Amino acid sequence: MVQVVFDKVRKAFGDTVTIPGLDLVIESGEFVSLLGPSGCGKSTTLRMLAGLEQPSGGRISIGGRDVANLPPAERDIAMVFQSYALYPHMTVAENIRYPLRKRGVPKPEQATRLAEVAALLQLEPLLDRKPRQLSGGQQQRVALGRALVRDPSVFLLDEPLSNLDAALRAHMRAELIELHRRLGKTMVYVTHDQLEAMTMSTRIAVMKDGVLQQFAPPAEIYDRPANRFVAGFIGTPSMALAEATLLRDGGGARLQIGAMMIDLPGRHAAAAPCAVTVGIRPEDIVVGQGPWQALVRLVEPTGHETIVALEAGDLALTARIPGGPRLHAGETVAFDVNRARLHLFAADDGHRLALDITDTTPPRSA
Amino acid sequence: MAEAALPGARLERRDALLGLALIAPTVLVLGAVIVYPLLSAIYLSLFSLYTPTLEGHWVGLANYRAVFGSSGFWSALATTAVWTVGTLTLQVLFGLAMALLLHQNILFRSLARSLVLFPYFLSTVVAVLVWRWLFNDLYGVVNHALMAAGIIDAPVSWLGTMPNAMLSIIVVGAWKFFPFVVIAILARLQTIPEALYEAARIDGAGPVSRFFDITLPQLRDVLTIVILLRTVWDFKEFDLIYLMTGGGPVNGTRTLPLIVYQQAFGLNQMGLAAAHAVAMMLVMLVFMLAYLRRAGGRVA
Amino acid sequence: MTNRQRPALIASLVTWPLVLLIAFPLLWMLLTSVKPQAELFTTPPDFLPNAITFEHYRRVLEETAFLQYFRNSLVVAVSTTVLVVVVAVLGAYSLVRFAYRGRELLASLVLFTYLLPSVVLISPLYLMLVKLGLANTLASLVAAYTSFALPYALWLLRSFMAGIPEDLEAAAMVDGASRMGAFVDVVLPQALPGIISTALFSFILAWNEYLYALVLVNSDEARPLTTGVMTMLISAFNIEWSLLMAASVMMSVPLIVIFAFFQKYLTSGFGAGGVKG
Repeated sequence: MVQVVFDKVRKAFGDTVTIPGLDLVIESGEFVSLLGPSGCGKSTTLRMLAGLEQPSGGRISIGGRDVANLPPAERDIAMVFQSYALYPHMTVAENIRYPLRKRGVPKPEQATRLAEVAALLQLEPLLDRKPRQLSGGQQQRVALGRALVRDPSVFLLDEPLSNLDAALRAHMRAELIELHRRLGKTMVYVTHDQLEAMTMSTRIAVMKDGVLQQFAPPAEIYDRPANRFVAGFIGTPSMALAEATLLRDGGGARLQIGAMMIDLPGRHAAAAPCAVTVGIRPEDIVVGQGPWQALVRLVEPTGHETIVALEAGDLALTARIPGGPRLHAGETVAFDVNRARLHLFAADDGHRLALDITDTTPPRSA
Repeated sequence: MAEAALPGARLERRDALLGLALIAPTVLVLGAVIVYPLLSAIYLSLFSLYTPTLEGHWVGLANYRAVFGSSGFWSALATTAVWTVGTLTLQVLFGLAMALLLHQNILFRSLARSLVLFPYFLSTVVAVLVWRWLFNDLYGVVNHALMAAGIIDAPVSWLGTMPNAMLSIIVVGAWKFFPFVVIAILARLQTIPEALYEAARIDGAGPVSRFFDITLPQLRDVLTIVILLRTVWDFKEFDLIYLMTGGGPVNGTRTLPLIVYQQAFGLNQMGLAAAHAVAMMLVMLVFMLAYLRRAGGRVA
Repeated sequence: MTNRQRPALIASLVTWPLVLLIAFPLLWMLLTSVKPQAELFTTPPDFLPNAITFEHYRRVLEETAFLQYFRNSLVVAVSTTVLVVVVAVLGAYSLVRFAYRGRELLASLVLFTYLLPSVVLISPLYLMLVKLGLANTLASLVAAYTSFALPYALWLLRSFMAGIPEDLEAAAMVDGASRMGAFVDVVLPQALPGIISTALFSFILAWNEYLYALVLVNSDEARPLTTGVMTMLISAFNIEWSLLMAASVMMSVPLIVIFAFFQKYLTSGFGAGGVKG
């Protein structure tokens, strides 16, 4: 069991508090992504776990062992850096063998393990080269190899794919998923790319300004974002967010968004009247039929689907419709929204409202 | 202590201790050979001290009154200013021109660069010996060449008369130190993106306006730093002037560093010498602070 | 591209005469050192020697204390270099990578001493070394030379080491190295060009130093080349220029060797040291 626990971990640089207090429990064998915009504290969190930075408060444990006073070398972790951090004066083989050498692994075993890792990552033809003679993708593999060779209890990956081109990134994503499945090791992965987080993780920890916003499996993050920030941050194109008012209407409830009125099931009436933020995902807008009219501002065909920017009064919406473009900018279309999949957030602090509509519906199967 | 209870505090303290251990030798050596001598220089300047016996007594600010009250200090300051401005101007103008030329794709460029840079690395003693031989009254090449060219009719005493002596050290100083300017500017020239010139060419800029609109503005920072640095270094130059002229003829080329040396080891007035040195530093401080601000701003 | 070649040719025609003019004093030094004594005093002087002689070199080596001076200079310059490089490598690493109170102040002090005139320090240093009983020893020169070589070296190495990515050390530490282990395994190899550059500069500075040698040493046993060769000039009744030129050439040999084989380290050190800041 290699459980990773952050217990009220705090980090301050001088007077600037970057992480006020982080509680996070990563179970053994999980692939957890720390996701957030730059400056959200995800890299600092990872570096504290690695022992490269010291927390200002709280406790971090790996496999039940408090690591506060352990230097990185004694934490039984391996790390892949965004810059790869390959030792430029060593060959690929020397780079990969370095962690073994530092731990006094006997020479013959070093050779065996090097051969295994090289075979796994197809590095055999590159072993005698220096890092600067390698392409970005090859360097990335070597960095991965150096982490894999030692069989640590936790793998830390700090935006390892961000310096690769798009095609290679997709390829490496698949390889990392496969690797995690095969090794079954705990992996902590820092990224600002939600696609990486969504496709690879067992759970995602969304962070903002040093505060954990939501820690849940990708589907739940997408379907039931815990607050307005997560709702807006996850999903491309992003969810439309609009100020609205929840009104009581006889026995039922109505949602007023500008000039639009949407009838909601009666149980929502309990909270009404109140100000809310309503969130509508692009795929939850039906274009071509419905009670409302919108002006088409922009049509972006991506091939298999089309992204349409709509304007209904003051409300800006983005719709995702399957297939090629059937609309033209400037025309007016009718539209409807999938009432069962609206997201409601408190207007003040943005938390997800418990009387939420989607709470009663199962997550989409699509 | 609350801090002791903090996790990781032990690691952090261990790191800080290691940092201090690594810097300790530096602090010790700098303290012994710079900070202590510097402070005692200021302390010494308050004494009347006879160099051979090292006996002396407290005189307070009397040395400073003597320094600022004597015409020697002020005329040496003027001499230092003439030398510094003269040689620095030549260094910068010639250095800039040479750097621009050596940046071109000329024949045997690396050989040309080596030949230009070498004087800077040469010992001042060697440079002075060579130039004193070139400037030799009777057999020097300089006089022969100038006479052959019809510029002078009779051999000229280059180091024995004024203003020739000042002119000579300015030229030798420029020859010895201009490569510093060349290297600095050449390094900067190589980092100006070619795209800037291409953009200017598309915008219709000719070679002259490309120089004034792109090259020169790009060189401004490095030129400022180089000029400040060379001002300080030329101002404090001792070897070259002392070895070329010894401050002569009479006191025609006696700059401030030479006065300090003469007071301390010629006239054996160590206290007075220290006062001269401190006064000289005060004058230099303007340029030192300007440089520190420029270069030190990037320390952190 | 003819467009590129034509200006280069014109630039060559402008540049090369200037280059030769700059190099002329050194060429003249070399020529004078191999000319028979009599040829020096012809009017007008002949450019090339009619006969080449190495007599002056033989006389410098056999009849003067040149070799003693050379040995002294070598000992002092090498000792200064080793001392300064060892201290500065550790110090610069500390300045670049560790956080403690007074670090910024120290960095500024280093930069300040880099500008300090030797004549300010010379009297107190002289007094201090006399008191320590080191006057007239090679050790006194090493101590004095450290006062300018160490700030220079620190400044140079600091800027070289600042350029080494911190991730490399972080990676080494995660891979199992201690802090100092990471320093030895990763930082030192990466800083090697900077260390070479620093060592060369320290050596050259120490080799060429004159003022401290003039004040601190007045016996041939400890006299380095700079003051030694000047003594040869001053002590002679009539100056033998060919002898002095031969001595100058030989004195410059280590510099020529350094310059010929390690020039790229000198120019890179240059940028890092003073100018880039």
